[in-house]
Amino acid sequence: MKTKKKDYSAYAFMLPALIIYLSVIIFPVGYSLYISLHSGTGVGGMRFVGLTNYITLFQDKIFYIALKNNLIWIFLTVCVTMTVALALAVLLNNKFRGRTFFRAFFYFPCVVAGIAVALIWRWIYNPNIGFINEFFRAIGVDFSQTWISSEKTALIALFVAALWQAIGQPMILFLAGLQAVSVDVLEAASIDGANAVQKFFRVTLPLMRDTFIMVIAILVISAMKVYDIVKGLTDGGPNNATQMLSTYMYSQAFDYNNVGYGTTIAIVMVLIMLIVIIPYLSFTTKNN
Amino acid sequence: MDAIDPLTEEFNAAHDNIEVTVAYYDTDGIKDACKVAAQAGTLPHMWFNWGGSLGQYYVDNGCTYDLTAYAEENKWSDTFNAGALNLCTLGGQLSGYPTSYNVLGIYYRKDIFEQYGIAVPTTLDEFDAACATLKENGIIPVSTAGLYGWHVMRLLEQFVETYAGVELHDKMNSFEESWDNEAVVKAFTKYQEYCEKGYFPDGFLTADPNDTIMATGSGTAAMDVQGQWYDGNILQNELDINNFGWFPFPNGTGRMSAFAEMTQFNKNLSDAELAACVEYMDYLYSEEATAQYGQYYNLPLPRNDASMPEGQPNVPEMIETSGKGGTFTITDQAFPTEVADVLFAAQDAIYGGTMTPEQAASDVQAAIEAYLAK
Repeated sequence: MKTKKKDYSAYAFMLPALIIYLSVIIFPVGYSLYISLHSGTGVGGMRFVGLTNYITLFQDKIFYIALKNNLIWIFLTVCVTMTVALALAVLLNNKFRGRTFFRAFFYFPCVVAGIAVALIWRWIYNPNIGFINEFFRAIGVDFSQTWISSEKTALIALFVAALWQAIGQPMILFLAGLQAVSVDVLEAASIDGANAVQKFFRVTLPLMRDTFIMVIAILVISAMKVYDIVKGLTDGGPNNATQMLSTYMYSQAFDYNNVGYGTTIAIVMVLIMLIVIIPYLSFTTKNN
Repeated sequence: MDAIDPLTEEFNAAHDNIEVTVAYYDTDGIKDACKVAAQAGTLPHMWFNWGGSLGQYYVDNGCTYDLTAYAEENKWSDTFNAGALNLCTLGGQLSGYPTSYNVLGIYYRKDIFEQYGIAVPTTLDEFDAACATLKENGIIPVSTAGLYGWHVMRLLEQFVETYAGVELHDKMNSFEESWDNEAVVKAFTKYQEYCEKGYFPDGFLTADPNDTIMATGSGTAAMDVQGQWYDGNILQNELDINNFGWFPFPNGTGRMSAFAEMTQFNKNLSDAELAACVEYMDYLYSEEATAQYGQYYNLPLPRNDASMPEGQPNVPEMIETSGKGGTFTITDQAFPTEVADVLFAAQDAIYGGTMTPEQAASDVQAAIEAYLAK
């Protein structure tokens, strides 16, 4: 009987990728877990405190505010950003004069740095000389808001600014998905008597299933990580009304020098992400 | 940048063996950037910093060069004024090269005060009355911006000084006395009253503190709590310096809030590197450099022989007044950042009507206790 000869060269080819994966993913995650069990400033020595950081975290009211804000952000991102991006993609998939310009126009904010978007929108929201309040004044409407300075409106105002920036990427992905839908299938549906709405909901959308899976996963992950626009526009304020897990983690680790506690927040963020994303991907892949 | 870039270029050209590269950050950016660098072990040869709790972090964590022996050897006491050296001495170490000593007062638009017949306030009641008159006439009394909390804090700490007085305020700042007391409640109540009466610009909580000069410059606001460097800002913005006067906040104690700025050096510097760093700093803060680029410096320099800047009339008055009346450490340098952030959140919440002054005082004290328990 012939035994199959093992080809060890395959392992050699995998080695560089393995080294990179271990050094930039596995080691930092493991080290972060280690740090989260310690207390210290990150510069001097670290003191082992066991699960104290985790216990403190679950008693920390700002953590719950940040968690609630992240969950609201995820909900808004999946519902609003995805719907608007899809609507734009459908519109821009039609043939009309200037189509390329409008595709670039709606994609453009996506390439602007988040911190620059924050600066732009800070001026748009300025209650005294900002575009929105000035616009209302110009059309004779007596309506003035302190958009990002009010605890009631700050999070939504922040989301609108983020929406302006974030719409481009899912729009492009949906556009690609729409263009991948076979014209033959749509024609067959027309021959069977389907109208435009029926074709869209019964043919186009089901055929874009893979695109939806990807877009939703990307949007949920980016919503969980949202940082720069919050930092630049409100710095988590007023009174933590726009505090996110990422901004709170940063404040704890780098502003307050509580590196162990900040890392604990990071670990919890990753766990929440895994709890949301793994069942989602496993469910959608299984049904595929 | 307008001063440091050309001066650094000149310095580098004159020194074959030294090459200085400068990285710029804004006020809050540099605080974050240096802490990240400290934790990553990548601090530069030298970095700008403030005194108090902000500079203390680097001393506590062994990041800074202890300049005590170097200063003694090079007779820094003959060069720098004692107060500045004292403010740069943290944890028993001289932890930085003093670059400025700053005192804060109320800058005001003289023309607006004159137009509405407002005299410079000498009591809190007169200050209140001045604000009321300005508001009635469509002028925002105080230009402030709360994005990072510290600009709004400058007025709040004056209310604390007013109601607490010298002894209690100093003890509160060194955590010997509780912040959960009647004086702090009164200070927050006064701040709440100002918010409710609309004495600050709409939406000030998330406005950038670097922009407060826009309102005073355009005349939509009449006052701004600023340090003596504001004369330089007025000139940089090509505003008429004659329209701006100042007065110490009428807190009843006569004290102004104060803070120091310095350049800290990396503890790992060799003797040659330290000498090069000091030589660069001496060049940057020479009389010639400050005379040429005066509006970009916080003048006067914290030196024994420092001259007052030309064309900045409020500077000598402020320095002289602070010398006579005394100073207290500005709150965000007296507090560690995590306590200061709780104070800033309380300012936000009081403006938003979601927190009472009593709760604010209690929250600040709770944050202090949590910090001390670490």
